Amino acid sequence: MISLVRAELRKYFTTRLSWSMPLAMAVLGGLFAALQGLFLAVIGEFPGPDGSMIVPAEAFGEDVVARLVYTGGVQIGYLLALVLGILSMSGEFRHKTITATLLAAPRRGQLIAAKLASVAVIVAVNSVAFTLGSVVGGGLTLALGDASLFPDPAGLLATFARMILVLVLWGLMGFGLGVLITNQVVALFVGVGVTLLVEPLLGLGLTFVEQLADASKFFPSQASMSALDLFAGVDPGMAQSLGGAQDALSWGWGTLVLLGYAAFMAALGWLLTSRRDVA
Amino acid sequence: MTTPPAPSPLGTGISVRGLTKTFGSFTAVDDLSFEVAPARVTGFLGPNGAGKTTTLRMLLGLVRPTSGEALIGGRRYADLPAPMGTVGAALEATGFHPGRSGRNHLRVLAASHGIPDRRVDELLELVGIPAAARKKAGGYSMGMRQRLGLAAALLGDPDVLLLDEPANGLDPEGIRWMRGFMRHLAQEQGKTVLVSSHLLGEVEQTVEDVVIIANGRMARQGTIDELRGEPAVLVRVADPAGLARVLQEAGLDVQPEDGGLRVTGADGACIGEAAHAAGHPVHELRPLRTDLERLFLELTESPEHRNRNLATGTEAA
Repeated sequence: MISLVRAELRKYFTTRLSWSMPLAMAVLGGLFAALQGLFLAVIGEFPGPDGSMIVPAEAFGEDVVARLVYTGGVQIGYLLALVLGILSMSGEFRHKTITATLLAAPRRGQLIAAKLASVAVIVAVNSVAFTLGSVVGGGLTLALGDASLFPDPAGLLATFARMILVLVLWGLMGFGLGVLITNQVVALFVGVGVTLLVEPLLGLGLTFVEQLADASKFFPSQASMSALDLFAGVDPGMAQSLGGAQDALSWGWGTLVLLGYAAFMAALGWLLTSRRDVA
Repeated sequence: MTTPPAPSPLGTGISVRGLTKTFGSFTAVDDLSFEVAPARVTGFLGPNGAGKTTTLRMLLGLVRPTSGEALIGGRRYADLPAPMGTVGAALEATGFHPGRSGRNHLRVLAASHGIPDRRVDELLELVGIPAAARKKAGGYSMGMRQRLGLAAALLGDPDVLLLDEPANGLDPEGIRWMRGFMRHLAQEQGKTVLVSSHLLGEVEQTVEDVVIIANGRMARQGTIDELRGEPAVLVRVADPAGLARVLQEAGLDVQPEDGGLRVTGADGACIGEAAHAAGHPVHELRPLRTDLERLFLELTESPEHRNRNLATGTEAA
């Protein structure tokens, strides 16, 4: 079992993806965090719901500003984590390496377990690169805006840990998707399309249906924002003006919901793989 | 859990029993049964689309049989404790990641079985691509891919080798190399080899046993000598009846065929000399196709055995 995980990790570390992906993660994380810092720290004020100007550092405190800046790119981060998960299986079908893989690991349950473990490790490594990039990019604009870089170090560390966990769970969801849709291009298209387009549109649509208005907080993206617990200690009305969901889940529930999605997708992957003919 | 059978001193054999696979309404393999003897080279022959690849894939647990079983050393492939240590397979259409080097492809497989990198380099030497294997697999020729596939099959030093059309895409030099390599594996290392081919001539000189299938069903099996039958010679002379008497007196079996005589029991030289001594000028003297060659031609050329993979319409899977 450990040898199968080692084989899966070796697969990842012997292609270009092993350096291009962390690089993309770090650069994009830095870029989006810097952008967030530009609004919250450098410009440092924006119009609130009642028309008066809000100064984030005064309204929420420096620790919330730092949290929001450093996680500014989390959406692009979990999209890339999703992509990493998708590639783990769909890449095998695309390059027809699935035959060699199954000859080396014919007990398919073990193969799936090894792949899930390797996706978790690979996404975790990439998430660290993403976090480092975000700290550099976000720190740059925070410093430019004369804001405190690490106002609450322990709290920030917890936020980073949650961000890494969220990304890993997205990676596991992607893995299931890659098994479900073996055509790599279609799988990537569906994964990114659902996250960027279908989910927000569906969420918007649901706000018009009274009985379901609450459902969108259980969607992966909304649950991810809840799991990050960015708005701890912030007035809910204010949080909404910063992009937080109405009546959001607690971070514990958000994490559980994401875990549920990941477990469901992984189970689906296991079920499909154990029955599939590889011709 | 059944207890594993004790390793046979004769090596590991293969047994296929009542194996059937249907894809929708298309029956790719139909109640197929055969045994592959340990430490021998067995040719698995049949026209394109006869079901050879599907059978091999069922043996390897890649395709689930609709019914029947395919066992290696008495076990299903997925039940072997270290599968690559028992069976090595080089299948057609095995892919390589274009951005990964051949050596790293082998290192990935090696990691799954705890095989050291040293063994990877040994095998790359053995199949003759030690330098090229450090380049990305995307640029490999067909011959390189075949050699890399073979190295992958041998990685765990298996007792049994399953080779699917190993000569496909090789140049004549490569085919010669492959033949010698298979003989070496079977004769000097005592490995059980099952090699599939749609061309009899490609494997005829290498194999000891033959299993021939057509339309997913067993057509013929036996040792190659049995299936070849006795070598026969066609001889034409002006007076066939006269020569027939002479040859029959010499104890040879003579049958009229195609205006000449079909003679079994002696080679062309003997027959030529006998005809000359009896005063019959020889017009034509040539060895006839063996029974095996005739059978194979019949199977490949008859319309009901056309390549079913290319069939159009509802019957195709």
